[in-house]
Amino acid sequence: MTVTAPALNREVIVRSVVIVAVLALALFVPPATLGGDWITTLTSVAIYSVVAGGLVVLYGKVGMISLGQIGLLAIGTWTATRLHYLLDLPYPLLMLATGAITCVVGVLIGLPALRLSGLYLALITLMGAGAIDVVLHTLDFPNGGGGFSGHQGIIDPSSLQTVQRPSWGTGDTAFYRYVVVICALLFLLALVHFVSKPGRAWAAIRESEPAALAAGVNITLYKMWAFALASFMTGVAGCLLASHFGNPTVGSFPREQSLTLIATALIGGIFTLWGAVIAGVFMMLVPFILQTQWNVDSNWLLIIFGAGLLQVLLTAPGGVAQQLPKDLANLGRLIARPFRRKPNAPEGSA
Amino acid sequence: MHNVIAFTVFGVDWEFFKPYIVLGLALGGAYALSGVGIVVLYQATGVLNLAFGAVGAAGALICYWVLNHTSWPGAIAYGACIAFGAACTFLYGVLFGPAFARRDPLVKMMGTLALALILLGFMAWRAPAGGAFNRVLTLPSSKHRFELYGAVVNWTQVLTLIFAIVLTFGTALFLRHTKLGTAYRAIATDREITATLGVPVRRVEASAWLGSGIVCGTAGLLLADLFTTLDYAALTFLVISSLAAALIGRLRSLTATLLGGLTVGVVQAVLTPYESLTQYRTAAPFVLSIIALLWMGRHREVVFSKTAR
Amino acid sequence: MIEVDNLTVRFAGVTPIDDVTVTFPGGTCGLIGPNGAGKTTFFNVLSGFVKPAAGSIRVFGDDLLKMVDFRRARWGLRRTFQTEQAIDTLSVFENVAMIHEHSKATRQSRRADVLEAVEYVGLDAPDAKVGSLDARDRRLVELARAVVGTPRVVLLDEPAAGLPDEETEHMSRVIQGIPERFGAVVILVDHDMSLVSACCATTAVLDFGRLIASGATADVLRDEHVIRAYLGVEDVS
Repeated sequence: MTVTAPALNREVIVRSVVIVAVLALALFVPPATLGGDWITTLTSVAIYSVVAGGLVVLYGKVGMISLGQIGLLAIGTWTATRLHYLLDLPYPLLMLATGAITCVVGVLIGLPALRLSGLYLALITLMGAGAIDVVLHTLDFPNGGGGFSGHQGIIDPSSLQTVQRPSWGTGDTAFYRYVVVICALLFLLALVHFVSKPGRAWAAIRESEPAALAAGVNITLYKMWAFALASFMTGVAGCLLASHFGNPTVGSFPREQSLTLIATALIGGIFTLWGAVIAGVFMMLVPFILQTQWNVDSNWLLIIFGAGLLQVLLTAPGGVAQQLPKDLANLGRLIARPFRRKPNAPEGSA
Repeated sequence: MHNVIAFTVFGVDWEFFKPYIVLGLALGGAYALSGVGIVVLYQATGVLNLAFGAVGAAGALICYWVLNHTSWPGAIAYGACIAFGAACTFLYGVLFGPAFARRDPLVKMMGTLALALILLGFMAWRAPAGGAFNRVLTLPSSKHRFELYGAVVNWTQVLTLIFAIVLTFGTALFLRHTKLGTAYRAIATDREITATLGVPVRRVEASAWLGSGIVCGTAGLLLADLFTTLDYAALTFLVISSLAAALIGRLRSLTATLLGGLTVGVVQAVLTPYESLTQYRTAAPFVLSIIALLWMGRHREVVFSKTAR
Repeated sequence: MIEVDNLTVRFAGVTPIDDVTVTFPGGTCGLIGPNGAGKTTFFNVLSGFVKPAAGSIRVFGDDLLKMVDFRRARWGLRRTFQTEQAIDTLSVFENVAMIHEHSKATRQSRRADVLEAVEYVGLDAPDAKVGSLDARDRRLVELARAVVGTPRVVLLDEPAAGLPDEETEHMSRVIQGIPERFGAVVILVDHDMSLVSACCATTAVLDFGRLIASGATADVLRDEHVIRAYLGVEDVS
């Protein structure tokens, strides 16, 4: 337990209030003011924020870059879909099972990759994602068939089910609220990790592996823990995505998404979970607004993402989440300057 | 006569595989070509250029546009592709190379990912794929075919393989025997010290970007032809196969890169007729890369510097 | 007591440590030698980053080389590095507590142990973020990390590098008190001979990977071979 000075306490309280406020806003404002399309888009925003959150854990906190998170997401979606056709589970159990299976897969993939770092780790995750992509293209998503793949080529359209939704979240709006709550819980799970022993160990590993070793940190264990957490989060997100799509197909996971995920995650801010939320907004909400509200080709966004990624790499490693508060603070100071200078104080300097 | 001998070796029906092997060697040649471009650039600048495929694809699209929407001669079209590859890569290297110079190779690679994204955006916007937009790029050399040991071969395939071999050994000789080549190797060992020795590091790096870009444009042209449809997304992600070649070469050995590229190409092609495996054949470069990476990382290195941010 | 027997390290065609046999009896021991002598490599062998080609190291009777690297810290091996390794975004308390929570010590004793270590080295703001501290205080954080809980061996690699004389004075007093206060053997690597003389009762000297002298510090510093090694004159012996 740390020595808590009064200042720290206040910081924690302020942060908690902000989080609760944002949650309340997310839960109640959009359903009341926006139409169906917006709600489904915001559902995607929440889901993809969690995936970006996995990257915050892996790269922001531990320093391991993974270019294969969309692959894990696809595995999560596939698993949830397969389990749905195979068993009749209550929804929370389906989420947990999907999360657990994806977690195991993520750890198994991560284990041999642990010796690698930096460039080689990024490359091996890129290759892993590519291999998963090929396998998924071959197996395709389950749609009621038998066998391992659960996919049958020719199906009677009338017998096509959709992946189940939670019992009190079948409609789009109710599902949206359910998803927001689950995503908040997943973020909470990550947060709990950050402020306790694993979070400190991760910070040490990110700072310097030899020093962490010398401090007694079991680096292999904690790296695996990070992989496990990120994979679990991504797996649950995959399950939500399966229910969101209803009938997920390979087309739900286009190849460029791996690139846009890493770009938006970095642009949003890779060091905090707020950055993950911003990443979700960039990935899902902004294209939607461009296409449907302003009739602009959303491919423009890829160009913007590329440029944004360059900027983050070169000048603003913390992304929007870090820059925005700084810029706002600077702006605030700029605005406050004329008010701070007292007209009859001869020695005053701003 | 050849057939009888071939058949008795391994008991495999070589007749059947010949056309696949030929195509595999040609594709592999193209991968090897790109692979060499990637390796030399990596050695000279520390940048692993993942935008290689995207630049080549964009060049190929430009070539297609010139061929089909202007009345300019074909030579201009092909030249445009190669010139675009050279210019785009060179500009990126000159504009962003110095900014990334002191950073970790991982960060440098991410920069090229950004370039790939930008190019993908442009291509998707200006040249959407699919449906009515099935584009084909055929080089004049593809129209000429001949028979070799019973398989039908076109000249593009032959040229690709020849290019790959010539480039590999030419570059190896260049690195060993010319002043510029020695400068490349010096920079690859230690950029800072090389700079203090009076070597014009930025100019040498710029030349590496330019050379790599020319290879990129050429490879883009050849791959667009060999792949029969001009799908810019597929071409962009073909960089993975080239990367596999480079990784098999341990990002160092040009000969191993050549062999690696040919291996990737042949393995993929040879799996085609096997019904149960054919759908997985596109995973071959990924699997081979993973094996190569695990092999390269087999010694656990303890890094004493702060991690890249 | 640390007993090193026939320790040899070889890599990439170099032999940074060449058949070294030496005993560090206890208290604070110095380890000196010109640049490239093998001192940091020796620390790296102790930490487990480098595997020796031959030889053994026994500390208080335990075979150190048999332990997996991160477990040595759990056993009680502590180390500072030439470049600071404390985590800027965490507070002093959290940085020191991290060492404690990965050691054999219990949760109950954590707060007391951490505050004791922080106080001992002379820091008075345990909640300050390390990133906001100056060079002197950051070095003290490293020291606190090295002594918290129950250390058994403390390896100090140029702990006062870059600090002005007054701070080095303070550092010297802190280092001298470690064996008595925490019961650990301290090995101090440094180029500052006055620091070594003040802190260390015994000193060993390496040059080109070989042990060229060991014993009482005053004697060692006067040894002809040692002086020649530092001056770079080839030793004909």
